[in-house]
Amino acid sequence: MELRALLPRLPRGRPRLRPRNPLAVKLIALLAFLGPGIVAANAGNDAGGIATYASVGARYGYDLLWMMVLITVSLVVVQEMAARMGAVTGKGLAELIREQYGPRWSLFSTFAVLAANLGICISEFVGIGAALGLAHVPPQASVPIAALLVWLLVVRGSYKLAERVFVAMTIPFFAYPVAAILAHPHWGSVGRAVVEPRIHVTGPYVVLFIATVGTTITPFMQLYLQSAVVERGLGPEDIPAERAEVATASLFANLVAGFIIIATGATLFVHGHHTVSSAADAAKALEPFAGRFAEALFAVGLLGASLLAAAILPVTAAYVIAETFGLEKGIARRPHEAPVFVTTLTVLLVVGAAVAMVPGVPVIKLLVLVQVVNGALLPVTLFFVWRLARNHELMGEHRNGRVFDAVAGLTVLATGALSLVLVGLTFAGRA
Amino acid sequence: MASGAPTVLHLSLVVGGELRDAAGERLGRVDDLIVRLGDDDYPPVAGVVATVAGRQVFVAAEQIVQLAPGFVSLEADRLDLQHFRRRPQEVLLKKDVLDRQLINVAGARLVRANEIELARLEGWYRVVGVDVSLRGLVRRVIPRPLAARVEPGGFLDWASIEPFTGHVPTVRLRVPHPKLAKLHPAQVADLVEAASHNQGEEIMAAVASDPELEADVFEELEDSHQLEFVEDRSDEEIAELLGRMETDDAADLVLQLPEERREDVIGLLSSFQERRLRTLLGYDPATAGGLMSPEFVCVYADATREEALERVERSALPAESLAWIYGMNTHRRLRGGIALADLVRTAAEERLWNVLRPVQTVRADADLEEVARLMTDFDLTIVPVVDEEERILGIVTVDDVLELVLPEPWRRRFGLLGSD
Repeated sequence: MELRALLPRLPRGRPRLRPRNPLAVKLIALLAFLGPGIVAANAGNDAGGIATYASVGARYGYDLLWMMVLITVSLVVVQEMAARMGAVTGKGLAELIREQYGPRWSLFSTFAVLAANLGICISEFVGIGAALGLAHVPPQASVPIAALLVWLLVVRGSYKLAERVFVAMTIPFFAYPVAAILAHPHWGSVGRAVVEPRIHVTGPYVVLFIATVGTTITPFMQLYLQSAVVERGLGPEDIPAERAEVATASLFANLVAGFIIIATGATLFVHGHHTVSSAADAAKALEPFAGRFAEALFAVGLLGASLLAAAILPVTAAYVIAETFGLEKGIARRPHEAPVFVTTLTVLLVVGAAVAMVPGVPVIKLLVLVQVVNGALLPVTLFFVWRLARNHELMGEHRNGRVFDAVAGLTVLATGALSLVLVGLTFAGRA
Repeated sequence: MASGAPTVLHLSLVVGGELRDAAGERLGRVDDLIVRLGDDDYPPVAGVVATVAGRQVFVAAEQIVQLAPGFVSLEADRLDLQHFRRRPQEVLLKKDVLDRQLINVAGARLVRANEIELARLEGWYRVVGVDVSLRGLVRRVIPRPLAARVEPGGFLDWASIEPFTGHVPTVRLRVPHPKLAKLHPAQVADLVEAASHNQGEEIMAAVASDPELEADVFEELEDSHQLEFVEDRSDEEIAELLGRMETDDAADLVLQLPEERREDVIGLLSSFQERRLRTLLGYDPATAGGLMSPEFVCVYADATREEALERVERSALPAESLAWIYGMNTHRRLRGGIALADLVRTAAEERLWNVLRPVQTVRADADLEEVARLMTDFDLTIVPVVDEEERILGIVTVDDVLELVLPEPWRRRFGLLGSD
């Protein structure tokens, strides 16, 4: 058969306008493995994440490591539910909440998400300002330029390419595990801390605890993941592959988070440096590995993570709004064609950038505070994710299994309880 | 009801209201309204689902006297409450339609039902439209007493609405979507691309009753979506679909198929179709050869105007492929071309070689950029592709080129996150 010989040589895919240069081809192939799970997990280690983990390590050493194990299990479970729902229903999370619970609940959850997103958006720009501040660029100069860059990339440019570049920029964070090892932590204590819960009954401990939960499991990560799974047209047959991606990505992201705690614990904490108040402090944890390049390394990683999240956030926010209010979503991104999308994006970026430009803003404190708010609002989104993923009518044979469902339910309960504790502490004036 | 337009009832105010007997006594709570989809332009209310004494019951339409904001009243002497169970063709308005996506056929886009409007038409309560405006949503969020005062907003007539019913267990694929046939295949393709996979399947299943329309829709679908809807089909079904598509679009679809299926599918085509497809598949898709359609009208240059026009008349080709007629010499070498409109304007007995004009051509290995530049420079909508001996192999039409040179963000009308 002549064709059999011919067919394998047939070029595939869409014809390109002009051939790419070989280096670009290799680079793109290298980045092409990025699935939505990896992007979501990496965006989770954003400015707020770094600040929170560094604060945890500096203040309590390894004492909160046991919690990272539990959070990782919860994160995998939660992310898996979001991905599975996207694959089975072909709909975004906000859309499902609207269809299953009606407009009141849908508005409630939307406002919770938008409030959290606005906070995170501010924190990303604080992160960008702090990263470039290490290169002695004042935030009043770097933040507006970064905001404009993100706006142009998302509205006019190739979102896809931007996403890949930003994820690549987070690679320097893999320096943390190396730095943690080079700092020669007492591995026995680290191991003990991982398995043995050490609870301090103090306000600041609980607040950092909630911030860590809030920054590791963030509503926008589930919203982004589910929408991205839908956008890529993944179906029920893709669930095993997507599950594997989500699990490994979450695991890696949290390993990095754990090593940030170990690295700061082994450097700042043991030297009695218990508060992290600036990006320069946080960068010190990288010194055992990078020496005098610690700050540069930290700056690139922080910039990449912050830009990645700053680009994802407005997109998910626009999705949530479109789905909740029944507006046509998507559409080419030029202003007159997608007013809702562009307005949401612009408002988030302008407010985020404006707050981050306030002179003398207490960087790390603000970042941690945003994660606390996030942690407090988290149960709202998680509750819906959990209820929807176990809904027989909606998910059919792909609904939560029993053990899985129990873990998911426990996560919702635990975050809900933490949220109540936080409210209590706030009223008691101890937080 | 007096003359003039009938009063519009909002579903959200009826559902949640009281179920009353003839004396106006409260029997229970109205949970949902059932309508029967089908032949009527405005589907009639077939019954009410209510909770009476903690039990969910079904009240048939025959027992209902009045639907009103806040209550549904029943006829006294025939109170017969049955267990609710779903029947074919019936949907629950609140559970299955409200808050969900619908197809607005008039605008060829997806809308979300913020409110469903009912009215008494031809003697009975029917669904007359949906509210897709923010106002409709506001009415459902604020407390009930205030809600009644919110004026209706953006009203869409049900006559131009097709609901998705794939998620309703008893209706699955049983309700045809006849209104979709009124749309242009490109609009149907846009809807499929905007909808979720299951909704897309529902639309494709609805257009499948007209195989020609289905093939046209496939020609318009983006590559990734094409694959989405043929993956689950048998080789025979795919071959049948390919046979109805334009050869160049069919070739694109074949390239989307997994390699191990291509040969089997092509083997099922008629030998004529198979030969054409194989010729096209032999070319790199990024070149003129891969872009071209092997179907065109080329006559000997000594033919008369009448003979050439007769070929056009007998041809089943789409209009854009017939915009130019080509002339060749006895060695089948391309001698030139003439626009169809110019040909029509020439004298009846005129020989073609007198009116043929030289045309710009490309070779089969010319890349996309070269073809696009040539078309731009010479304001062409069609370029003939020729071999070394100047024999015409096929034509590249502007639509195939435009599709590829359009920047990615312009091409995608839907979706923000995007995939390659």
